[in-house]
Amino acid sequence: MEETGKILKFYESAGGFLGAKVENINTSKIGPDDNKNGTSNTEAGCDLTTYERVHAVRLFPFTDPAKYISIRVGSEAGEELAIIEDLADLSPEQRELVKRDLELNYFLPVINKILSIKDEYGYAYFHVITDKGPVRFAINMGGTNVTKLSETRLLITDINENRFEVRDVTKLTKKEQRKLDLFL
Amino acid sequence: MILKVKIPDKLTEQIHEADDDRIYYALPIDINRDSNYADNSFLVVTTKRILLFEEGVLANTLLISDCAGAKATARVGQGMLTLEYKGALTLVCRFSHGLTAKYAYIARGINILAGGRFEEVESNEYEPSCPICGRAIPGTSKCPHCSGEGGIVKTVRRLARPYHKSLFGIAILMILASVTTLLNPEIQKHLVDKVLLKESPGKSAAFLCLGGMFALSLGIVFVNVAKSYYSTKLGARMSHDLRGELFDKLQATPLSYINDRRPGELLNRVVSDTRVIREFMENVFCNLFTVAFIFVCDIVFMVILNPGLALLTFIPAPFAIAILLAFRKSINRRFHLQWVKNDDQSSSLQDVLSGMRVVKSYGNEKAESEKFLKLSNEYARVQMNNESFWAVFNPIIGTVLGLGLLVVVFFGGKKVLEGEMTAGELLQFMTYTTLLYQYINWMANFPRALMRLKSSVERISDVLSYNIVNKGPGEVTDINGEVVFDHTTFGYKSYKPVLEGIELSVRPGEKIGIVGPSGAGKSTLINLLMGLYEADDGVLLVDGKDIRTLDRKSFHSQLGVVLQETFLFSGTILENIRFARPGATMDEIIAAAKIANAHDFICKTPGGYDTYVGEKGYNLSGGERQRIAIARAVLADPKLLILDEATASLDTESEYLVQTALSALTKGKTTFAIAHRLSTLKDCDRLIVIDGHRVAECGSHEELIAAKGLYYELLTAQLQMQKV
Repeated sequence: MEETGKILKFYESAGGFLGAKVENINTSKIGPDDNKNGTSNTEAGCDLTTYERVHAVRLFPFTDPAKYISIRVGSEAGEELAIIEDLADLSPEQRELVKRDLELNYFLPVINKILSIKDEYGYAYFHVITDKGPVRFAINMGGTNVTKLSETRLLITDINENRFEVRDVTKLTKKEQRKLDLFL
Repeated sequence: MILKVKIPDKLTEQIHEADDDRIYYALPIDINRDSNYADNSFLVVTTKRILLFEEGVLANTLLISDCAGAKATARVGQGMLTLEYKGALTLVCRFSHGLTAKYAYIARGINILAGGRFEEVESNEYEPSCPICGRAIPGTSKCPHCSGEGGIVKTVRRLARPYHKSLFGIAILMILASVTTLLNPEIQKHLVDKVLLKESPGKSAAFLCLGGMFALSLGIVFVNVAKSYYSTKLGARMSHDLRGELFDKLQATPLSYINDRRPGELLNRVVSDTRVIREFMENVFCNLFTVAFIFVCDIVFMVILNPGLALLTFIPAPFAIAILLAFRKSINRRFHLQWVKNDDQSSSLQDVLSGMRVVKSYGNEKAESEKFLKLSNEYARVQMNNESFWAVFNPIIGTVLGLGLLVVVFFGGKKVLEGEMTAGELLQFMTYTTLLYQYINWMANFPRALMRLKSSVERISDVLSYNIVNKGPGEVTDINGEVVFDHTTFGYKSYKPVLEGIELSVRPGEKIGIVGPSGAGKSTLINLLMGLYEADDGVLLVDGKDIRTLDRKSFHSQLGVVLQETFLFSGTILENIRFARPGATMDEIIAAAKIANAHDFICKTPGGYDTYVGEKGYNLSGGERQRIAIARAVLADPKLLILDEATASLDTESEYLVQTALSALTKGKTTFAIAHRLSTLKDCDRLIVIDGHRVAECGSHEELIAAKGLYYELLTAQLQMQKV
């Protein structure tokens, strides 16, 4: 992997978003001339670029959400600054900053309890309790809106493209599993 | 879409509306700061302020005068509204994806207010789920559940109007069928009581009864055959007519209507929804009156015959219905599951078979076969379960449905023995009971069939009732080819402009090359020129006349188009070239093919100009297809030519052939050519560079190089690539 830069420090920008200071290693790739988003300065003897807004992307959102986080310039598609191999390597307050940004980029409620599933004319109406609170949603029965991430793990996509996860089907009660059977 | 939801009165009080500060938009916020689902939280935009209510409390007020650049962005599983508040990028709120599109409109609304204008943004997009009942809406403007019976009855009546004669005939047949069905038990009673149980049974009377029964049975058969025949015919005709009507309507609707819908959805409306109507006519409607008539008469006759016994018979009916529904639900679930498992198995098989080269080259046969065995095993298990379930429960259901009859036999038999009832009456009663329970099954199915029909009718009438703005006949003119874009602005989604304020004027016969990064709006510019979409703002003039006022047919006949991928219709090469001008002679077609460098390869095909091409026909290469498209355009002799990446997907040799064909074609015609490879545009009189929704640069090749701008950068980048 080609090292493009080394993130020295994350900070909270004026509007509350994630900002980053990067030490330039490969200056031809990231530099004040190349990138309008970053401002360059010299701090503590090294060549630094400050990015007012960066965002964090999970490379393996399902297999390992806390590892391999790509830090990218801007708020949407932007150039990669660095990859954090493990969030645990960061200091607690730095970790909090990255975690906060991840929360803004990913919202994937985990279904803990299924209260009811009603199917009616091509749509299935779910009423569930997730780790983010109770919610009702509808999925289209026709398509492939329930996908298996593994033998026991499910990803459900509703009509609005919201995503819900079932971590372990076998952890649900038999009755709940029977309700889900239709979609497996 | 609704951009102003009703918020609780308690919150409205806190807004303090004023004459010059009214509520513009209000939307729920459903994700809170802690990333949990939020309740009772709203974003309210008034003329001057943005108010945030969190859990019923006014949490924040922003002044619109401090705001700029509001933007709704979609993230994974959620979206967020951000704006530049006092110069800093600030998060306003988060929401789940049901609200993302709405917030995109609101963001546009905030930007308009921040810009000092006061118009309100409106959205023509449909709600994904019903604001009244919360059900998902199947892509229509109204919810099929909440639109009310009135709407559907009206639509059905409108759809049925042309067929009222057949409908009337079928209704008569239905009533005939029920009368014959109901008469039979009456004769049976007569046979038993008046003939068989008499001390001296009269043979001739018996034969008379039997003859009557035979005639009735025969009558039922005839009536039923006629009824089914006419219902099927009517159903087929209705769905055929509807398909035609839908197809015509879809062709007439603007592309934006089609783009707003999911792909496949409109196809479904033409194919599946009309099928639902046909099936309803064939299976449900043809029995509707018969069943209703028999059902009512049946109950009346039973009550007249013996009120007490009739009441006893009715008691098990609700239970029978409940059991029947539960059984059906369970059966549906089970067989759906079986279908899914079967599907899993076959798709896995298909996967492996089509990827066999990969599987073999990595030596993964064993793992794959284990995977398949597991799925197959699973399928076998579900199938066996289902079959045994069916074998056990089907007879049980039959027995349950027969319970009513048992009740009748027991109590009726008692009454016959006590002399309160004759044997013939009992027989008649039993037949009525059987009929009753037979139709309970049908009745239990009816609501489902009706709902299916309702959804389909709703979807169909949604298309049919779409109002196409009829502008009347346009102006028919021979165009010279002068084109002027005057402040033309357009976006596929009203909140997201693709082209903004395009200014460009093109002389007749001028060749214009269009370059720019992907997604900049090059093809959109050409779509506007083709009249596929209408500009949201500004005008597009052809020969000084607004393109909207021109007659579409005459305008399109003077427009030639060669796209990146040429679509050939199933048919011969001759038919495909002639598509541009159906009246063209053979000589003209050969001449056109020669100009297009197509004649020689056509001669090499086995069938010459009669070679069948298209989906199942002779396989032409990409370059050959392009040259047929060019021949088509040559034949049309258009005044305006559009080339959209016409040579992008070709190899060097075909590209050369197509290029020479194109330069023959474009001689003296106003031409717009899009290309990524800049070398293909060297013949153009002027080049325009589109970037950031606008015309960034405009001028000849030399001028743009001298300017050292975007075009220069693109060109040097491409030259460097060639060196490598």
